[in-house]
Amino acid sequence: MSHTPAAGAALGNELRAGTVAKVGSTKRIQELNGMLHANRPNVDITRARAYTKVYKETEGLPSIMRRYKASAEVYRTLSDVVYDHEQLVGWPTKRIRGANFAIELHAHWLADDLPNLRDRTYDPFEITDEDYKELEEELLPYWKDKTMAVQWGHYVSQEEWNRGQFGGISDVSNYLCANGSHFIPAWTDVIRYGFVKYYEEAKALLAGLNPNDPASIDKRIFYNGIIEVLEAIRDWGERLSASCARKAAEEKDSVRKKELEDMAAMMKRVPWGPATSFHDACETAWAVCFFLFVEGAGPSITWGRFDQYMYPYYKADVEKGILTPEGAMELIEELYVRVTSNVWFQSTQMAYIFGGYYRYPHLDVGGLDENGKDATNELSYLCLRAMRYAKTTSPAVCLMLHQKTPDSLLYEACELAAEGMGHPSFFNCEGLYEMLAHRAAGPDGYSNYTRKEILKYGSPIGCVEPGAEGLQYGHTDSGIINVAGAALMAVTNGVMPIESDNMFAGKLLTFETGAPESFETFDQFYEAVKAQIKYAIDEAHANLLVCEKLLAEQFNLPTFTVLLEGALEKAVDATAGGAKVNIGPTMQMVGFGTMVDSVAAIKKVVFQEKEATLREVCDACMNNFRGYEDLRTKLQAAPKYGNDDDFADDIAVDLWKWFADCTVGLKMYRGHYCDAAIQMVQSNVGYGAMTGATPNGRLAGMPISDTMSATQQADTHGPTAAARSYGKLDFPAYTNGTLLNMWISQSELLEKS
Amino acid sequence: MTTIRDVPLNCPEATYVEPVYKEAGMRNFTNLVRTMLNDYGVYHVQFNTINKETLIDAKAHPENYPTLMVRVAGYSVYWTDIAERVQDDIINRTEHTF
Repeated sequence: MSHTPAAGAALGNELRAGTVAKVGSTKRIQELNGMLHANRPNVDITRARAYTKVYKETEGLPSIMRRYKASAEVYRTLSDVVYDHEQLVGWPTKRIRGANFAIELHAHWLADDLPNLRDRTYDPFEITDEDYKELEEELLPYWKDKTMAVQWGHYVSQEEWNRGQFGGISDVSNYLCANGSHFIPAWTDVIRYGFVKYYEEAKALLAGLNPNDPASIDKRIFYNGIIEVLEAIRDWGERLSASCARKAAEEKDSVRKKELEDMAAMMKRVPWGPATSFHDACETAWAVCFFLFVEGAGPSITWGRFDQYMYPYYKADVEKGILTPEGAMELIEELYVRVTSNVWFQSTQMAYIFGGYYRYPHLDVGGLDENGKDATNELSYLCLRAMRYAKTTSPAVCLMLHQKTPDSLLYEACELAAEGMGHPSFFNCEGLYEMLAHRAAGPDGYSNYTRKEILKYGSPIGCVEPGAEGLQYGHTDSGIINVAGAALMAVTNGVMPIESDNMFAGKLLTFETGAPESFETFDQFYEAVKAQIKYAIDEAHANLLVCEKLLAEQFNLPTFTVLLEGALEKAVDATAGGAKVNIGPTMQMVGFGTMVDSVAAIKKVVFQEKEATLREVCDACMNNFRGYEDLRTKLQAAPKYGNDDDFADDIAVDLWKWFADCTVGLKMYRGHYCDAAIQMVQSNVGYGAMTGATPNGRLAGMPISDTMSATQQADTHGPTAAARSYGKLDFPAYTNGTLLNMWISQSELLEKS
Repeated sequence: MTTIRDVPLNCPEATYVEPVYKEAGMRNFTNLVRTMLNDYGVYHVQFNTINKETLIDAKAHPENYPTLMVRVAGYSVYWTDIAERVQDDIINRTEHTF
């Protein structure tokens, strides 16, 4: 059998269909995993249809009223399918591995690109002919001139619209089509009390409004909308309960019949009411997770401190003798399979930069409790172990590591890492706690979190962003600053070299900081690098302010709002600042290592050794080093970040801190400050393609360095030297988190099997 | 607290077979994580641990690696679901040894 090399994802989907992925600790999980992989990523139009129906019926009504009604209509029309083998109930889509996509964010590009969706190179999606027709003829025509990106275009020039999405240096494309993400709902609360608590609260607040108070006008609309959404959630539980009961009635096998009857009873209890068992609690954890994934459009609804808020239910059930560690792990594995089914739908341009279908709900174990004591429990181990059996891409399981974390939990985590799946990630708790203490609080400011809240509820969201359960809202994938490209602009006087897959190739992309001859000293050049980065930050900031305004006015998120402590009482939607701590959009660096190595190479070769002029370096980059091979060799030989060499690391330390200082002083639309981050993952490949040759000797179009990691192959002195370089940086200054990739091979860790 | 490291799980139907760990390698690995995070203050780290030659072979023969997963960044992904240029970038990262 011969195959052509992997072309996008089509081949992988073909290969996994069938039985190869039937893994798990029990037959049930193996079957569910097999079912997951028997389905290819597919588009579901249930949400799009519900939104279109409601918006057409509500022309002229207040924006928030339309939005809340549309959310409710989605719950009323969600699939009620119940499959064999499952113990948890409810799916976000009609088919497994579906994407119930947000048409109000995607219609403008999809209207043009729908014919390519099934065959596009990055992230192809299946769609039925019937749904295709409905999208093409009814749904997309209604939305294509109303999306967030189109509306943003009314506030900026065509050139700014292009630069923000296709310029590759100051990019906001990610923020335009991923509203409602990077969120840890109030898990402890919603599992303990159920949605009925918020329903009663909203009813009471509505009843208490004084119609003679002008503030009551908008609040009345808000509470009525919230009540309608919650009633739709209640009715969804009833519908799913009935669906389980129907399936039970048809079931011949007595064991499975009993399971289905129990599931029917469970769906009458949760997520509407309080969880009474570990199984109930898992159902609420699943239902709330996918509700938010359907209402929002981004990649990360986060389970946060799962081992903490689930532990009371686990412990009680084990003590009652109705649950074993194996039984609990089976439910956890089912959660992993279900959440992996939930693929991310991205625009063709976004898939070019971020493709792979992944969403990244975080699930964290370990850390400290609210009193500062080690919080490790039996579930911490089970959550890590479950991933060895289930082998799913989601959730992103992680260990919150503290000095007090027992070695045995660290070993459990490292043994999982040795499996090679990329799970888990490791977080330094003290860093997380310090970041949260200053989150979105401006230069030297303190956030609204109490120390107790940080210890009890703090955990990473998304890739690495510090968050807190039920207390924080703000989507953090936002302004992306390609600092490798910005450093190149300081050399080329703002022009992107012709050889780059960039809409601005051969043209002025940023602004003129001076011809190469004009820099007499390294310091002058260094200031130009900073000026180019600052320009990119300021442009992204201006664009993001407009986006935030649009989100707050038109793209509200009722289910997110309900699950934020205090938002109901304030009657303020999550998008408009309902959270206790509002954050984002943030400013993220990409290409850090490439930038540092480029600046270090120029310092060494041009200004210290004087082996070339900056004009020659500019010409070399413009010509992709053709005819400048000797100069390229010299630039490549200069000191590189990631080797514990202060020549390069001092530049890294300075630019790192300087970027954070520039960022945290920016005031955002909802009144808080911006945060700095370095985590824009995989995008180093897409942004690299959009970036011409760089002064570190990297050729045009090749990937720039990923996240905060040293440039590919530049860290030649081993993991300890690399770690010492990284350890020089000021991590807490990056209040939106930092991400580091390292590679230690299995042959170091495992005997040959 | 009794954990599954003290009392092994009983999963007779499981497909998973636990590998044999290299003691020194695992000790170096855990020490690297502890030192970087708890001593040097690095906020976050994650690892790819698939041998480079395996990834090179997987690029050439994807049909043999339908369920191979790699860490791209804050998420894991099937090797066969990512674009060829992303595969190349991952292969081109620095593989460290102790």
